[in-house]
Amino acid sequence: MVVSILGSQIIGIIPLGDIVFYMTSFNLFMFAAALVFTFIIAISKTETQIEAEFGSLGDREIKVAKKEFKFRRFLAIICGLATAGAMVTGDLFDFTLFVCLIGIVNIGIVGAVKQVDVLDSAFQYGLIAMIASTPLFVGASLILAATGTISILAINSLTYTTPMMLFGSILLFLGVAGETGVAPFFATKAEMFRTPGSPFLLIIHLSSLLIIVRVIEILLIINKPF
Amino acid sequence: MKSIGRFWNSLANPDRIPRFYALVLGIVLIAGFLIPIGLNDHQLYPRPEPQLQINAQDPLAPYDRGGVTFEQRGIVKAQYPQYLPAIGEITAYLSPIAMGVDHTTLYYGTSIYSSPGGLIDEILYYTRGFDTVLESSILMMAFVIASFIALNFTMRRED
Repeated sequence: MVVSILGSQIIGIIPLGDIVFYMTSFNLFMFAAALVFTFIIAISKTETQIEAEFGSLGDREIKVAKKEFKFRRFLAIICGLATAGAMVTGDLFDFTLFVCLIGIVNIGIVGAVKQVDVLDSAFQYGLIAMIASTPLFVGASLILAATGTISILAINSLTYTTPMMLFGSILLFLGVAGETGVAPFFATKAEMFRTPGSPFLLIIHLSSLLIIVRVIEILLIINKPF
Repeated sequence: MKSIGRFWNSLANPDRIPRFYALVLGIVLIAGFLIPIGLNDHQLYPRPEPQLQINAQDPLAPYDRGGVTFEQRGIVKAQYPQYLPAIGEITAYLSPIAMGVDHTTLYYGTSIYSSPGGLIDEILYYTRGFDTVLESSILMMAFVIASFIALNFTMRRED
């Protein structure tokens, strides 16, 4: 049994059949951060935006209606829990499923707003998230085909890397980049943040941040560059 | 230099992002044809040669993994057998309807309506049970979002 992964000690594991969650201090910190943030979001109220009109006193208040508020809070909590799960999971396929769940829930959080521009960019983000599920799962399955296992703990103890594993990890990263909408594909998400309802939108940011950190850890474990 | 700046600026338009993403993905996938295929043959779920079972007139032909339900384990491998004390015990399970079909025809295993053995159930609910929970929750979230939007924007619309 492996006791250290990327140089940090494994504190404990949670076996759920073949899917084993493992905890190192690094994973545990991100897991706790995601849970704490989810809790804060669950008890907080949304912001209220003021739209000021230039040259007049006609300020308008934009509030989130109660029903919409409840719906978005629910989706934000699911998103936070999925992020927390993705932080500790020790199984590649499980990780891709968590990322997929985050992608769908992110669309839902902004899907309930009434601004047409925001909905347009949410639609574009949805298109990317749908396309991205292909490289996401293809990457995971290529790594399974190349190594014979998708348990990260088992991959960690392998001593070799093949070009196919590298290609699988590139596809996996491309899939995660599309699902979370990072750097070159960020424009669609940037538009989404203009809608009112701030704490729920922040979970979209936080989840993509944590997922990117975690996917880099997984890629380091798979490819062993050091 | 100027054209690079123009290219970055064009990425600020949300309409172009899916096309750009599809382009990047296409390039990577085409580059994938150059990658040498190295498969690992220590797969998780092994089975005997299909022709052996067909020649032995087994009705479950390519899918038979042996075993007796709750008595003798079938051929199933797991990544972590120490966490799965009852692995393989329901591999031989057939539902009553499946048993009836099994007794009437020799080609049950290859027919389109077959789900021979509990192997699929073991993968879904025992060895990789948490994946099943996640998959169905993804589906549920998709339905929740779709029904919320349909109810509040399509049916009860007040602009």
